[in-house]
Amino acid sequence: MRRPLMLSSWVAVLVLAVVFVLLNSGLDTDYIIPKRLLRLAAMGLGGVCIAFSAIVFQSIAGNRILTPAIMGYESVYLLFQALLVWLLGTSSLMLMGQNGNFFASVLLMLAYSWVIHRWLFRDGRSNVYFLLLLGLVLTMVISTLTQFIQVTVSPGEFAVLQGYNEASFNRVRPGQLGYAAVLVLLVAGVMLRSRALLDVIALGREQALSLGVDYPRCVRQQLFLVAVLVAISASLVGPTAFMGIFVANLAYALAGTTRHRATLPMASAVAVGLFILAQLLVEQVLNYRTTVTILINLICGGYFLALMIRTRGRA
Amino acid sequence: MISVHNLSKRYGGRTVLADVSTRFPARQVTSLIGPNGAGKTTLLMMLARLLSPDQGEILLAEQPVHDIRLADYARRVATLRQSPGINLRLTVEELVGFGRFPYSRGTLTETDRHAVADAIEFLSLTPLRQAYIDELSGGQRQMAFLAMTIAQQTDCLLLDEPLNNLDMKHAVQIMRALRRLCDEQGRTVVLVIHDINFAANYSDRIVALKQGRLHFSGPVADTVTEARLQDLYDLDFDIVRSERGRLCNYFNPQGDWS
Repeated sequence: MRRPLMLSSWVAVLVLAVVFVLLNSGLDTDYIIPKRLLRLAAMGLGGVCIAFSAIVFQSIAGNRILTPAIMGYESVYLLFQALLVWLLGTSSLMLMGQNGNFFASVLLMLAYSWVIHRWLFRDGRSNVYFLLLLGLVLTMVISTLTQFIQVTVSPGEFAVLQGYNEASFNRVRPGQLGYAAVLVLLVAGVMLRSRALLDVIALGREQALSLGVDYPRCVRQQLFLVAVLVAISASLVGPTAFMGIFVANLAYALAGTTRHRATLPMASAVAVGLFILAQLLVEQVLNYRTTVTILINLICGGYFLALMIRTRGRA
Repeated sequence: MISVHNLSKRYGGRTVLADVSTRFPARQVTSLIGPNGAGKTTLLMMLARLLSPDQGEILLAEQPVHDIRLADYARRVATLRQSPGINLRLTVEELVGFGRFPYSRGTLTETDRHAVADAIEFLSLTPLRQAYIDELSGGQRQMAFLAMTIAQQTDCLLLDEPLNNLDMKHAVQIMRALRRLCDEQGRTVVLVIHDINFAANYSDRIVALKQGRLHFSGPVADTVTEARLQDLYDLDFDIVRSERGRLCNYFNPQGDWS
């Protein structure tokens, strides 16, 4: 593990955070700084969620191109939001409250994760390209359904739904942030504690079993935790698509190892840093003329493309 | 000692293993041989508990294996499948350290470090200790994985085609290492192997499978004969015996063997 690099990346994140909070704030502690701190907290939690879920999911799936987002987790979340508005109208937001929606989403993600687990990891490790294709097709089908629902709702409801389609740090509520923080700390803590187990799981089903790991049970548990993280990040900051791949692969490269004790913190630093950087650019340089989603997708989508071309035939 | 009784396994409608009973004596090297699709790997995977049999029973030292906790089993039986996990960024030392997982669950103790160093030393991998496994040649990587299995310090080692894709030098290195594990450390070794000459020269015992059934089994001297191998492989064999061992020549069959 390259400790100095790990340290300097966290220092860089810290510097970015301070710049983000204080730049052009006029040191206004009544409105600007508290608002920014709220967004910063959302970015921190969202970043950790994306980093941990991507790395653990990749270790289980045994390749570096799949992430929960690509396997359709996020599109299921969006479909759920669309269905809510379609069936219950915007009153659904009142009816369930922010927290109701949040916890319902977590449950839904768990259900989807169970289906994925039953279906995909049935025979241990399946063909990577089949999984990738299946994930993209699933995402496409579910997104089309979501779109279909979106065009049938009223313009007002449509505007509400449109808000869910973009990653944003502006819609977090302090209460929701509290629940999310507790859950994220809990899940990330459990994952960090089982880092040695995750290292063994990354060796594959057969090697893990022969090292005495109850592989099916451990994978079930870890996928459950991944689902919780994906649900939190989706409801906190919205869909992030390719970001997980970018974050995980950059973390592998920077950490110089696939041991989870190094990759998990490193990926978190990369994810949080990327969020803050993108938000900083949007707020201070581009003056809200573009969105965080577009910036992040530009960077991460480009990287994903490069990765596909570079590792063709090896993944 | 491992013994299996009336083992059967079906995939869909196809029977891959039918009513196999045999034993793998302690402190011996046993080779599982037979044509492709004979059920060798299936049998080995069942011994490793990576597959469960449809029927029959496997006993490890007279104890049914499914009564043994998986975590305890990993301290008694170690398995090496065909070179897995190639895109992992790990050093040889880290990989071998995984062999201690059944004992320390991840945090290496002083004992673990000794076991790791011993295993690396045993296979003369010391110069490669800090090398990354994704940068090694196929042969070196296979040695590194074998070292991990050795570091597990189990009485019994199961290997699935350990010589696959290796050049002659690495193949000899691996087989000599297995022989020494058996002779010097008293370990039981069971391996699936395709090269009949390695099987004949390095094992104590042969178990031959054909079409999912036990074809024959016994000490090398009784089993590696022209008649039995011809029957097993449907090939013409000529076995040359010299003081350096026996050599099975099947490369240029005489007569009509299509």
